[in-house]
Amino acid sequence: MPETDDELMQRFQKGDADAFNCIVRRHQKPLINFIARFTGDRDNAEDLAQDTFIRIFKAANRYKPGRAQFKTWMYFIARNLCKNEIRNRGRRDRYRVDNVITNAQTSNGNEDQIDLIATAPADASFQPEVAIERKELRRATQNAIAELPEKYRFPLILRDIQGFSYEEISKILELPNGTTKSRINRARLMLKDKLKPFMELL
Amino acid sequence: MNCLQTKGYFSAHLEDTLDNQTLKQFESHIAECASCQKEYDRFQASVKATQQLPEIEPSPDFVPLLWQRISDERTKIIPLWQRLSDLFNIPKWAIGGVLILVLACAGTLFYYDDIFNTEPQPDNRINLTDNISTEKNINTTSDQIRSNIIDQFFPQSFPRNIGGSDMFDTNSNQPMQQQYILKRVSYTTPTLAGGL
Repeated sequence: MPETDDELMQRFQKGDADAFNCIVRRHQKPLINFIARFTGDRDNAEDLAQDTFIRIFKAANRYKPGRAQFKTWMYFIARNLCKNEIRNRGRRDRYRVDNVITNAQTSNGNEDQIDLIATAPADASFQPEVAIERKELRRATQNAIAELPEKYRFPLILRDIQGFSYEEISKILELPNGTTKSRINRARLMLKDKLKPFMELL
Repeated sequence: MNCLQTKGYFSAHLEDTLDNQTLKQFESHIAECASCQKEYDRFQASVKATQQLPEIEPSPDFVPLLWQRISDERTKIIPLWQRLSDLFNIPKWAIGGVLILVLACAGTLFYYDDIFNTEPQPDNRINLTDNISTEKNINTTSDQIRSNIIDQFFPQSFPRNIGGSDMFDTNSNQPMQQQYILKRVSYTTPTLAGGL
């Protein structure tokens, strides 16, 4: 049975660096996804994710297992770093959503090309138009998320992409449960309106 | 339930968290209202599109780079307050507050150091009634000291009685204070320009 985050943190507090390594490997992917979806910049997302882990590394002695869930604490730190990043970044490149798509393609070995190549031989009913439409829909969705106001973007990403519960989101964002629920519903309604031109693709 | 209220329950219905009564009202409205039904379908589709966004894979050198950065951070020169903060596990603002308090106390002690000095101090104040009987005596003594200083440092051409009563032209229309200022300027300024 895998160790919980709290157990790993306790080991790390006793000086076991491997435990910290386990934590990093366990959470790196969702954390990078969260930051990338929020900031709209994949390269920077890795830097910010590393910043988050460095903060955790430095503040590990202050962490009290059981008092707060490790994941909540980690996303709380990441959220603050994202907010600082957005604040520091100029308005010019605030929503560099294209970067996410472009970098995701390059770093993942051109994801959409792989889609096309991998699907073609196996699937006789493969239609290139469908793949292109899918790509367009992904781009539109990412753009729509990036255009949401910050206070709606955070809960939406945490709920629909990261899969957190409302209670966890409330803790991360320091909001009452009711506010979290209404913001998520509002964010989804806004997203629906933004994706209206792409309804045929949905 | 109207259309606006129905939209407010979209997420709750999608996540199946509505209570029975609200669920009945919601579903009866959706069944009757074509517009809301369409909106709800689009709502579900957009949520699905968000949930199906592809995951971004971390680059393979993410972890090695992280350890490199941690190593760099550890060798970096850490300021004293940061070290104290880490050592005693207290926030930085508390250390800052303590430092300000210590500096304020030290400044107060330095400035009012005689407050805590309990030894009796000699009374250097001049008792005007005992030592100097009249104001004229003070003026005379003061004029004499000035004259001695001028003799020591300046040539003989310098007026003997600066600030004394003979410096001022009693027939002048200018007030005495203004004359004094003018005289002082005329005596002191030329020294800067090359002598009296």
